[in-house]
Amino acid sequence: MNYKAVIIGGSAGSFQVVTKILASLPENYPLSVFLCLHRLKHIRSGFVEALSIKAKMPVEEPIDKEPIKNGKIYLAPANYHMYVELGNKFALSTEEPINHSRPSIDLSFESVAYNYKKKIVGIILSGANRDGAMGLKALKDAGGTAIVQDPKECQVPTMTTASINATNVDYILKTDEIIKFLLNLR
Amino acid sequence: MVTDEDILKLISTIKVVSTYNFTNYSEKSFKRRVEKLLIDYKTDVNGLISKVSNDKEFLEQIIKDITVNTTELFRNPEIWITLKYRILPKFKKNKSIFIWHAGCSSGQEIYSMLILLNELELFDKAKIFASDINTKMLENAKRGEYKYRFNLGYLDNFDKVIKENPYNYDEYKDVPYTKYFDIDKAKDTIMMKKFLRDKPVYRKHDLVNDGNIFYSKFDIILCRNVIIYFNNKLQNSVIELFSNNLYRNGYLVLGAHESILGSVANNFERTKGLYKKKPV
Repeated sequence: MNYKAVIIGGSAGSFQVVTKILASLPENYPLSVFLCLHRLKHIRSGFVEALSIKAKMPVEEPIDKEPIKNGKIYLAPANYHMYVELGNKFALSTEEPINHSRPSIDLSFESVAYNYKKKIVGIILSGANRDGAMGLKALKDAGGTAIVQDPKECQVPTMTTASINATNVDYILKTDEIIKFLLNLR
Repeated sequence: MVTDEDILKLISTIKVVSTYNFTNYSEKSFKRRVEKLLIDYKTDVNGLISKVSNDKEFLEQIIKDITVNTTELFRNPEIWITLKYRILPKFKKNKSIFIWHAGCSSGQEIYSMLILLNELELFDKAKIFASDINTKMLENAKRGEYKYRFNLGYLDNFDKVIKENPYNYDEYKDVPYTKYFDIDKAKDTIMMKKFLRDKPVYRKHDLVNDGNIFYSKFDIILCRNVIIYFNNKLQNSVIELFSNNLYRNGYLVLGAHESILGSVANNFERTKGLYKKKPV
């Protein structure tokens, strides 16, 4: 299999699905998991704490230039874009929002695509804008595995539909199937 | 699509025709800034390189576009609350307080500090120095005029830091905004009061090349969301510059998601989200 990391993008509405996925990953899950989620403007803190309650793996917001470790969940901090740089480190930035989004899912996906090539799984969940579609395309073009949550299951299918239209995705899956897929990567 | 070779070519051209050196900038965000430039100026890397080589004014404009200028009034209120209750009161007995805003951008952080100092009756003893790589941003900072609507959300931060006391909810200081700035809703502006605007000393300064240009050491250095654009090597050399120019027990204030990762971290003690320089 040989994957190094999983990256998940979604908006505030996908919080429950994200929680369910994280809760299903065991403590010793061998990959790093990156989360890039749009947040509601007034909820800037408390996200890590809320996810930590359900997740068995440790959840952190990365510090700039922090080396990436396997077996951890990293949440893009509110109001920063999150990149992965050569040498497997995070890099943060406060550049202007893209598609009204900071963190931008497109930027994070493009950056992991460049670094991990075939060794990354990208997942787009329910969301209210088109952010993520170009990122998932970049990830797929670089050889990664592209997964989209089944739009029929999404409260707001804008993001997932845009992603399916942007690239030839590998799988369209329901939440339970996404979990099964991720557990099989061990 | 901009390749890594394009980026290296651009960096080396800028290095030859100016004092600016982007060699040790963070690769992903730098590349992304360049990609944005090419779209905004409808050109390609070679076009950009030739224009940069021949047009000094254009070069300065490019430097402004490449560097990121995000700053807000009382950005991350919790840091300002720490400064207000835990840090600044320590300087009450000092004759003077030397403060450097390094990479001050359009200046909202300087005004936040000035307002806080005034509320703590430390304004007169404070010496405020501010620098940025961009002369255009320094002019914006000096002018002290901001978009009202864009900054509206940050007035909440003013309330949190200046009016409320998170350690004692009964305490509420009704400080009117007009004490520090005038709001003109029709013109969509916030204008800082003259006594605030006149206070800081502004200088152009490039953290990559320049040492301490203010001929003074500092009690507090603020450099927030600047070193995220630098790689580890450059981050360490900048932190070293700060460390060398802080007084013992002086404080370094970085952005909320920045930290000192190299061995220069040993010069500091991490305390309440700030870095305190250890007595050597």
